[in-house]
Amino acid sequence: METLLTAIVASPGAVFLLLGLLWLAGWTPSERAVARLTVITYASGALGTLALFALMRRHGVHHVAMLVGPWFSVGEYRFASSLFVDRLSLPYMLLTVTLVGLIGAFSRRYLHRDAGYFRFFALLQLFGFGSLLIFTAGSFDLLIVGWELVGITSVLLVGFFHQRPEPVRGALYVFAMYRGTDIGLLTAAVALHHFAHSATYGDLFRGAWPNQTIGFAGPATLMALLFVLSAAGKSAQIPFSGWLPRAMEGPTPSSAVFYGAIAVHAGTYLLLRAHPLLDASPIASALVVLIGALTAIHGTMVGRACADAKTYLSYASLTQLGIIFVEIGLGLQWLAVIHVVGHAATRTLQFLRAPSMLHDFHQIHSAAGGHLAATGAHYETLFPAALRDWLYRLAIDRGHHDTVLERFVLAPLGRLSQALHSLERIWAPPHDTPAPPEWSRQSLQVTWKEKART
Amino acid sequence: MQRLESPSEPAHSRSHLLHEVLHRVAHLLPVQGPIGVFVHHNTLHAFEDRPFDQAVAQAAEIFAAEPYMKEEDYRDQLRRGRILEFDIEDVISEELDSVLLPQFGITARSLQRAVLISGIRPFQPATIGYLLHERGLLRRLRPDLETARRARILEAHGGREAEAARKLFSACLDRVRPGQAPPAAPSPRGGAVDEIIHPYLIRFAEVFLDQGLAYWPMPHRELGFYQAIRKLLTQPFFIEPDGLGGLRRAFQRQAENNADATRVVLDMLDSLAVPQPQWEPFLQSELLALPGWAGLFHRLEHEPHLLEHNRLPCSLIDFLAVRLTLRSAASASAAPAAPEPVSEDLHQLCAAARLFDVAQLLGLSAAALKSVSEAQFTALAVEVERLNGLECRRLLHQAYERRHERLVLEPLACHRRLHPPRDRRERPTAQVFFCIDEREESIRRHLEEYDPAIETFAAAGFFGVAVDYAGIDDPHGVALCPVVVKPQHAVREVPVSSDEQLTETRRLRRAIWSRFAQLGLASSRTIVSGWISTALLGILSLFPLIARVIAPRQFARLRERLNKSFLPEPRTELTLMRPDKEGQQVAEGLLLGFSPDEKADRVESVLGPAGLRRGFARLVVILGHGSTSLNNPHESAHDCGACGGRRGGPNARLFAAMANLPHVRERLRSRGIDIPHDTWFLGGYHDTCNDDIDLFDLDQMPQTHIHDLEQVRLSLDKARAGNAHERSRRFEAADPRHNADLALLHVEERSEHLAEPRPEYGHCTNAACIVGRRAATRGLFLDRRSFLVSYDAAQDPDDRDLLRLLGAVVPVCAGISLEYYFSYVDNERYGCGTKLPHNVTGLVGVMNGPSSDLRTGLPWQMVEIHEPVRILFVVETTPERLLATFRKNAALQNMLANRWIRIAAMDPGSGRIQVCRNGLFEPLRYVPEQIGTAATSADWYRGLIGHLPAATIQAGL
Repeated sequence: METLLTAIVASPGAVFLLLGLLWLAGWTPSERAVARLTVITYASGALGTLALFALMRRHGVHHVAMLVGPWFSVGEYRFASSLFVDRLSLPYMLLTVTLVGLIGAFSRRYLHRDAGYFRFFALLQLFGFGSLLIFTAGSFDLLIVGWELVGITSVLLVGFFHQRPEPVRGALYVFAMYRGTDIGLLTAAVALHHFAHSATYGDLFRGAWPNQTIGFAGPATLMALLFVLSAAGKSAQIPFSGWLPRAMEGPTPSSAVFYGAIAVHAGTYLLLRAHPLLDASPIASALVVLIGALTAIHGTMVGRACADAKTYLSYASLTQLGIIFVEIGLGLQWLAVIHVVGHAATRTLQFLRAPSMLHDFHQIHSAAGGHLAATGAHYETLFPAALRDWLYRLAIDRGHHDTVLERFVLAPLGRLSQALHSLERIWAPPHDTPAPPEWSRQSLQVTWKEKART
Repeated sequence: MQRLESPSEPAHSRSHLLHEVLHRVAHLLPVQGPIGVFVHHNTLHAFEDRPFDQAVAQAAEIFAAEPYMKEEDYRDQLRRGRILEFDIEDVISEELDSVLLPQFGITARSLQRAVLISGIRPFQPATIGYLLHERGLLRRLRPDLETARRARILEAHGGREAEAARKLFSACLDRVRPGQAPPAAPSPRGGAVDEIIHPYLIRFAEVFLDQGLAYWPMPHRELGFYQAIRKLLTQPFFIEPDGLGGLRRAFQRQAENNADATRVVLDMLDSLAVPQPQWEPFLQSELLALPGWAGLFHRLEHEPHLLEHNRLPCSLIDFLAVRLTLRSAASASAAPAAPEPVSEDLHQLCAAARLFDVAQLLGLSAAALKSVSEAQFTALAVEVERLNGLECRRLLHQAYERRHERLVLEPLACHRRLHPPRDRRERPTAQVFFCIDEREESIRRHLEEYDPAIETFAAAGFFGVAVDYAGIDDPHGVALCPVVVKPQHAVREVPVSSDEQLTETRRLRRAIWSRFAQLGLASSRTIVSGWISTALLGILSLFPLIARVIAPRQFARLRERLNKSFLPEPRTELTLMRPDKEGQQVAEGLLLGFSPDEKADRVESVLGPAGLRRGFARLVVILGHGSTSLNNPHESAHDCGACGGRRGGPNARLFAAMANLPHVRERLRSRGIDIPHDTWFLGGYHDTCNDDIDLFDLDQMPQTHIHDLEQVRLSLDKARAGNAHERSRRFEAADPRHNADLALLHVEERSEHLAEPRPEYGHCTNAACIVGRRAATRGLFLDRRSFLVSYDAAQDPDDRDLLRLLGAVVPVCAGISLEYYFSYVDNERYGCGTKLPHNVTGLVGVMNGPSSDLRTGLPWQMVEIHEPVRILFVVETTPERLLATFRKNAALQNMLANRWIRIAAMDPGSGRIQVCRNGLFEPLRYVPEQIGTAATSADWYRGLIGHLPAATIQAGL
């Protein structure tokens, strides 16, 4: 079982390394070979995961834990790289290998002849490796590695069409949100080492998922809140949801696999994995329920008023992610897992069909006899007309989400860093400004005029 | 707000002037309507009144776009032999010549020749320093220099290359004068204000124009864009976006003044301090900041019926009023960044470098250059700068088109000479009419190859029947005819009386299905039903997800089978009979059905010009066409252009039904079209994407024709497989070793594949149009690159048929050709870029990602294998008759005189070809003795992916 597990997790990483090294060596493999390699990797990954599941059932084990080896140590802190698979990991793993494999098969056609074809597949492999690492890591330390890989591949795929300014701007926004909220996970890991002297699940929690309890003494609420921060960032919960619609700049299949299916659900995994901490902290649980509910309401309200396929899908995703958070906060772990799987499957299909939406609507329209049943009338029965207009205004400004964030978080942060900067100038005055480099335009053209004349 | 209004210009005249200015500016906006019905048109329709080269240059400045391909693309074609030096000589010989440096034998033409063939290296102010300083530009001469020239330059310097180069550059730099630098290239629009307001403006436009994608439709849309937005943005209690402070206040003030959109725009012009003479450039730059959205508002203002579901009061002035109000709120907080000025010296260095390059090409050493007089030097420098700009690309483009012209006309002339048209004695197995579409060229050829006793014809795909049509599954009638025609007649498909019950069942079940499908689309975005559809039922999506990605064709078949068993298919007929001139009226003033004379007119309008007046086969098949695909918001662009971007099956069916009526045939007989009693017309439909062919109303065909039908059906099946095979040669994803049947499966899969960005290549290869008898082109492999129009000059003594044909065919074909031209030469500005990030918005168009301008034109995946040439019409008639016919139609004459199209005439008797240049015909200079020959089409193209030369296909002769 251990070997199987290692093979499943490591093979996308190995394929990425292979592709990357080949590319560095100046050789770009053919489209067909790259696609085939991807599909084979993930098809065997899917079979492997099923086999793993069957083996675990046959041997009646609840989890498989293996120590790959010592990773590194700092002072008295030891970091081991270990893998861990239990009933929570399996559905996520299966989802990852299935959907990434399908997206690979899909993208072979979709990106055919595109200049970024190879880049896309290399990133897809790295992403698959990263998410498998999240779902199979045996400790929060290793999970962070996967977490960051997923983050960086996300950002690079949002900025896939880097020759236009909008995708680059979108990618930067996503990057900032990810990095900002990753602080939670990093700090949580440090805190775990401090209080529990380990970040390995086996040392932290007792029992089998989902009936685990904390096995160490420490401020559960603080750590739970740190996890919630990171999870909310990755799963685009309020107040971090602004990045999700901006992430739609990439090619359709990457939108599907990242923002419909796997990357956005990584946050839910983190919370489910750390659920003993949540269970021990009513405050953190309540907060999860609250931000989940807010996100769901925000998502459904804004999403209703969206008139383009990808934005409306991203807000529809937000709505369900919010509900999943509520389910987790309420302690309905199994329901949350089932919801995640169903949501990922539905949303991926919807994203893949998004470019065909005109075709689909045309058929529905004609079958309906030319007039679709009116939608959105729900609010008419619920609210008076004046309030409806006000709500609509709120919805098309995306709930003032960006403005609020900009004005009440980013601007003060900016001012703070400005202030720190000026303090720094007082404490440590800058050195003399260096002379402009020799090759600067002006100097060059003078020299050349002189040279050419002599 | 102060209104600067003097007594001498009352408000109404200002608003009148504003609308006049707006009218002129709006002319520049794209005319693409909602994308569900895509009609090809000349992207630069606003410039059609001036010569092509002037038009593309002016448009390039206004839109910051490319007028031609890039210079290196042409140079690449030169290397690959697609342009020959011979073509360049040919083009230069038509340019004005002048003597530049007589002592060295250098004339304007010799300079042009040198520059066109070898090119001036691109020197930019931004990189010239790098080239000089770090790339050693002056350490050596051009590496591609001819040996003789190189030797001549080195001679004076004793073979020291670095010295020769340095001295030469120095000689150039010494004499270059300031002001000889070209104006800087226009920079694309942008700026801080646009960055702030566009996300909002785009979102507003999106929700306003939405045709049903948003679950919650925008309130107050019926008031128009400006009023609806004002109503929303004056709502109390909201946080104003950063950079748009005071927006609510601005709208409120407008509301208090009860201002309409025109008044708002006038006020804004005042408050932004735009003086009246500046209105036009100002509004132009405002509207061209988001041309796609502005253009759609403009188009819908004049043709609101283009919105099929929600008719909305659109107007450009509304859009402008909202835009300017946003803008004024934004400009309060954002200052435009001025571009960094580029030093004059750098321009001078570049000019010197260009002269340095040219001097080498001309074999001039430093000493030689120093010896020329000031006047001569200036003349040379001016000519070099002129050639460095668009001029070089203009000439290269001409050479590129000249080679294309030869590649079409020379084999055509040769084929015509080797295989002159001959009269066939025996009665053909069948006659098949296709659309003139160049995509049907290959299937016609394959059909003739499989059964040489079949005759094929082509007529514009609406087959003369301009009609407002609704099938039993269609909610309302749509016009099936060219966009310039407004149908006068309505025809409805109705079930035969015995099947009415079935129809009702079908309607009900479809309504139920649509309710479910709509629920499926909408539910996932709400909380409760979204939870049900994802948490409870979500896992079920895995089945269609996997099936559609792994086995799209099988999934489509399964769905089709389910549909068949679920939906009964009633037999139907068309309401085409109208006893008299008067007859019943249906809605919107259309006549229901056609009177006998009208029917006869329609049938004659197709058979007459095609020259089919006698010698009918027992079976005549009329095939309309269209295209089905997924992952393709531009699906309609692949449908029949002659049916206004829709599918032409019903037209073919109608035409056949009319031609089968005895009273119609009687009338036709009196007009010289003699259809025998044993001839039967069959309508059909060809799907150009999956190569399916459907034949209609087979149950009404007489029993006597069953055998004929079997034979034709067999040939059609073979031909469509062959056609699929020939199309597949262009697709890298198709295995070149596949046979025709596997190729057919491949194209079927393409049309059902969710991921396929190129379901078919559409009109991508269009380049020419041949109007004439099929006998003159039969057996010629034209590589799906020529529209073919059946026309027999011998039966058209007064050129009336020709006038009518050209009047319909030239605008359609030129529109297609020019749209492809512009979408190819500047895919980002004129086209809509790569399809991969496209996002369907409001069901009216596509954006890039979540928020961008509405992208108009064609995506890169549709044009990537196109050769951007103006379409070449070859008409089988005499030059005199052709010119006279063009003169009779002002629009045609304009296209010809301004060279938006190219024409040539092929003499019907001798087959001699003459090419029209600047209004004069000159004979084709060279007709080869032989052309390529192959037994079958497949033998000619097998395994090859690029454009192929014409060839004689023996099986098709």
